[in-house]
Amino acid sequence: MSMDRGQREGDEVLLMGNEAIARGALEAGVQVAAGYPGTPSSEIIETLSRFAETGKLYVEWSTNEKVAMETAAAASFAGLRSLCVMKQNGVNVASDFLLHLAGSGTRAGMILITCDDPGALSSVNEGESRHFARLMEIPLLEPADFQEAKEMTRWAFTLSEEIRNIVMVRSVTRMSHASGNVILGALPPAVRKAEFLCDGAVSDPERGPVISAPVIEKHRLQQEKIRKAAAIFEKSPFNAYSGPERPELLIITSSACRLYSLEAVSLLDAEDRVGILKLGTTWPLPPALLKRVLSTTEKILIVEEVLPFLEEQVKILAAEQVREIGVKTFYGKNDGALPMAGELNPDLAMAAVGRILGIDPPVLSSAYRKKLRAFAGLAPRREQTFCPGCPHRASYWSIREALQRDGRGGFVCGDIGCYAMASLFPAAGFYTAKTLHAMGSGTGLASGFGKLGSFGMDQPIIAVCGDSTFYHAAIPALINAVHQNANIIFIALDNNGTAMTGFQSHPGIDINAMGDASPVVDIAALCGAIGAKVVVGDPFALQETRETLNRLMEGQQGVKVLILKQSCALSPEKKGTKRYLMQVDDALCRGDACGCNRLCTRIFRCPGLLWNREKKKAQIDEVICAGCGVCAGICPAEAIRCEEAAKS
Amino acid sequence: MTNLALRKDPYNIVITGVGGQGNVMASRVLATMLVRRGFRVTIGETFGMSQRGGSVMSHIRVSSAAVWSPQIPKGRADLLVALEPVEAIRVLADYGNPSVKSLVNMRPIYPVGVITGEADYPAPETIRKAVAALSETACFLDATAEAIRLGNPIWGNIIMIGAVARLGVLPVNRELFAAVIREGMPASRVEANLRAFAIGEAAVA
Amino acid sequence: MRETERKADSSEEEKVQGGQRELEERVLRTGFCTGCGACVNLCPYQASYRDRTVILHHCDLAQGRCFAFCPRTPADLTDMKSRFYDEADLTHELGAVKGFFIARAAQEGNRRRSQHGGVVTALMTLALREGLIDAAVLTEKGEELLPRAVTVSEPEAAAQLGGSRFVVSPTVAEFNRALRTDCRRIGVVATPCQALAIAKMRLQPLAAAESGMDRLKLVVGLFCGWALSWRPLTDILREKTDLAAVIGMDIPPSRYHTLEVYMPEETARFSLDEITPCVRESCRSCADMTAEFSDLSVGSARLPEGWEAARLWNQVIVRTKRGRDLLELARRRGVLEFREVPAGNLEKLKAASLNKKKAANRPQGQSGAGDRMGQAG
Repeated sequence: MSMDRGQREGDEVLLMGNEAIARGALEAGVQVAAGYPGTPSSEIIETLSRFAETGKLYVEWSTNEKVAMETAAAASFAGLRSLCVMKQNGVNVASDFLLHLAGSGTRAGMILITCDDPGALSSVNEGESRHFARLMEIPLLEPADFQEAKEMTRWAFTLSEEIRNIVMVRSVTRMSHASGNVILGALPPAVRKAEFLCDGAVSDPERGPVISAPVIEKHRLQQEKIRKAAAIFEKSPFNAYSGPERPELLIITSSACRLYSLEAVSLLDAEDRVGILKLGTTWPLPPALLKRVLSTTEKILIVEEVLPFLEEQVKILAAEQVREIGVKTFYGKNDGALPMAGELNPDLAMAAVGRILGIDPPVLSSAYRKKLRAFAGLAPRREQTFCPGCPHRASYWSIREALQRDGRGGFVCGDIGCYAMASLFPAAGFYTAKTLHAMGSGTGLASGFGKLGSFGMDQPIIAVCGDSTFYHAAIPALINAVHQNANIIFIALDNNGTAMTGFQSHPGIDINAMGDASPVVDIAALCGAIGAKVVVGDPFALQETRETLNRLMEGQQGVKVLILKQSCALSPEKKGTKRYLMQVDDALCRGDACGCNRLCTRIFRCPGLLWNREKKKAQIDEVICAGCGVCAGICPAEAIRCEEAAKS
Repeated sequence: MTNLALRKDPYNIVITGVGGQGNVMASRVLATMLVRRGFRVTIGETFGMSQRGGSVMSHIRVSSAAVWSPQIPKGRADLLVALEPVEAIRVLADYGNPSVKSLVNMRPIYPVGVITGEADYPAPETIRKAVAALSETACFLDATAEAIRLGNPIWGNIIMIGAVARLGVLPVNRELFAAVIREGMPASRVEANLRAFAIGEAAVA
Repeated sequence: MRETERKADSSEEEKVQGGQRELEERVLRTGFCTGCGACVNLCPYQASYRDRTVILHHCDLAQGRCFAFCPRTPADLTDMKSRFYDEADLTHELGAVKGFFIARAAQEGNRRRSQHGGVVTALMTLALREGLIDAAVLTEKGEELLPRAVTVSEPEAAAQLGGSRFVVSPTVAEFNRALRTDCRRIGVVATPCQALAIAKMRLQPLAAAESGMDRLKLVVGLFCGWALSWRPLTDILREKTDLAAVIGMDIPPSRYHTLEVYMPEETARFSLDEITPCVRESCRSCADMTAEFSDLSVGSARLPEGWEAARLWNQVIVRTKRGRDLLELARRRGVLEFREVPAGNLEKLKAASLNKKKAANRPQGQSGAGDRMGQAG
């Protein structure tokens, strides 16, 4: 049901967009792939790792996106086709290197795959990576269906080698995490040998050193490359117009929005009035193609998600060619035809097209709408929360209790990972986490807060950070905090894997992306080495954790590190197993009486606990309960019992 | 079963549930069967936060000719498969129409707000009434209970797929399921999946 | 400590029941919380930390024992006194007075460990030894000036725990905990606010069924002018002392205007001007100097010979028959020795107590004719 080695050239299989991208890279003969996990991009490296083979394909989860891009670039310099993969905000992390790489150019084909998340379905930002292509002056490709995701990825390597620069391929959640039919192509037999030729002159693109200097000269060269790309794009099959010769309305679109546009036009029965120009090469735009298509009509709607990236490019080209193509009316983001925040869907596209053409979208019968109103609001909201058995619930419980005891208004600086839910859904972290920004920023913010004591701030400051985030970006911030003697408690919520995105390996795990044994970089040892005071604890030991935290809050100035180690409840070693069989003793449960008032179901809120309204007692939902036993430790009446589960 | 034509093109299926119920797996299995039948299938999934107790919804578009958007337009589901009862109501509110067929597993997974007493979970009868009113046909199963009897609640999703096959609205059957499952799964899990599928078939009279 | 404007409250309709929300609004946020711990160890929602009572999680019950037991929530103190004490003994200034004595522990060792005359330590040790109680809720020195409430059952252990504390300990929280153990006869040494909380517990129907308050056999009250807040106090003390080395503190009569902090090798002195800002906000609202809800109350003595002589003695107010019996037993067993009460001592104590009542900025709804002393309105 996913891509595997058994599939052959010509097979038509169901592939996820990310798998299709991975397949395209394999068909292009990629030999080095590196990335950092991030929804919706993670399946690309995961898929490639299944095809990894010594001497043929090397795959790694790097510590962060910048390192991933550097790893891939090294392969390109040494003559191997390579790619790096990240989610939209990962490009920000890698962007400093990308700026210089785009200036120096590449050798063997190298592509950057970024998966954006319009609508922030699994992000805390709605960042737009497309703008990086323009900013860094590198070509941008955007696939619009699953087959194209594969073909375009394969071709991106060819383009990269033609212009000798990195090529950016951008997907979105609705492409990456959607699936569709893909006809497989052949996997190339030959593999290249790695060698970095660097004994030539600076000006020698084949054998010289790879640097972005002399800057002006290299910059001019880079701009020549992008002009060459534009020329190639004029003839690209990834750009296609469909519709009447002289449409009443021209839609210009790309990526998943092409499918929304097609559906919108079909729902409105407007195929004979609307033409669609689907662009696969979205930067730089091919001017001649645009001129040709823009000439066919007066009204143009640009359908794209989030910011008006395409819209602005099209308007610039139209302005430059206004003498030849005439004055146009543009619809899109700036006039409010489509929203500038959040993802699009067929309904939004349909509404925009319908308004422009004066067509009323089809509606349900009034009888059915009446029934819908009758049952509206029946389904209770489903707030996201930590999983049953999640160590984060226990960690935040202790943090909350320690902060409340301390009483000086202390708070947690949150970070990226499942534990970010403490900032997103207050009840998930018992209202402790108060900031949430980029990866590692919790620690950086804490380092800053930790220097405000001289201005009268005496609130205890806690930074939380997951194990993968620690390696990614927290280390420089933590070193800063140590060096500046910032007064903070740094808590590593070490759940033994990159849990949020599906247990990818990281430097704290003893196997790498390919399943090979790897040296472990120990968090405690590293923190100790930079001079922080380190305590290691088990978050399931609630009282001990809380007491440790209160002790650290009263302790000496400086950085105090607490590492709370407990594997994620969904980790391969824990998933589907129960350590304890839990039970509530009705005779002891105080229910909603004074003395308890449903602490477990009302405050602790583990989904494995239920409030039985008839009996007025708590009970365990055996299907949901993960058997971690933590709730037994919070029950004031000792009514929740743990019984060691038999090992299966 | 012999008729490979779709009742509608595209035929729109929503599979909904809660993180951890095997929603993604169920939609992959069903879609793979349909690809085997020669259809062009698109699945749209939202599973970024699915493991953390949120609602999870897969949209499956089946067509004999074209690739369709990974998001079904509002009010245009043809078949609803709900692994959790209130999720059925939630989906019908957005994608329901007078001709949708609904298949609902009646085992609730209570949202946190219900556990805490801040929200009410509707009674089973209320759910049945609402689903029946908003669907052309509605079928209610206790797939989780059957799955527990089989040994693991997770097989509830495959029981629901078995039930879909029996509805007769899609050209899928047990043989096709067996072929797909044998390729996509370790041999040790095949037998239980086949049994779950059969239970689902039997549950739809 | 200072005269504070009093809010006219006689006409206000007082809510006499509440839960955590009312407790938080009316006591914790307003600075009336005494840190006594009456709302702690009843449920998982409040805790004592350092010398403060904190809310850990939100409880939404409309009525709770936390509110009912709190010494700073509404109560008719006059009515309460008439239930516990002989009408004939009640005074406006000092509550019930069945007898007034000057005494001290007969054993010099007891006195050395204790603050002044060592009467409290001697009485609690005696009560344990004689089996009048089988558990004594006391306060031990703790660390870094942070006293700890403890329950002891051995007389020898009680004898070790003398000495005044200047920072409160959550005695009532410890008492709540002791009520859940199998102690049958419990004695408590309590400050005025703690003694009031325990008295309120005795009257609560909410608690009666399960609390086992009938196991409370003795409340020895402590005279109390005020207590200090731990965090600001230690911030000041740390500048001149090593907190870990402090063995005791005292305030000689007011003309010295000094807090003395004793360490093994030296004594550090702090002007009361420096220390007064550390007085707990809640103590400024207290109208009870002599722990009026006790069986007997003990405090420092005044003697015509002066401070050096007086600091070796205690003044004792006996309030109940139980208190009188214990004091008499102590006399018979030779545990305490007594001296004649100088003329005017009781009147001076009454005057001091009355001053505190006048100065108190009392929480709303806590009244009693006897306590208002014509100050109402």
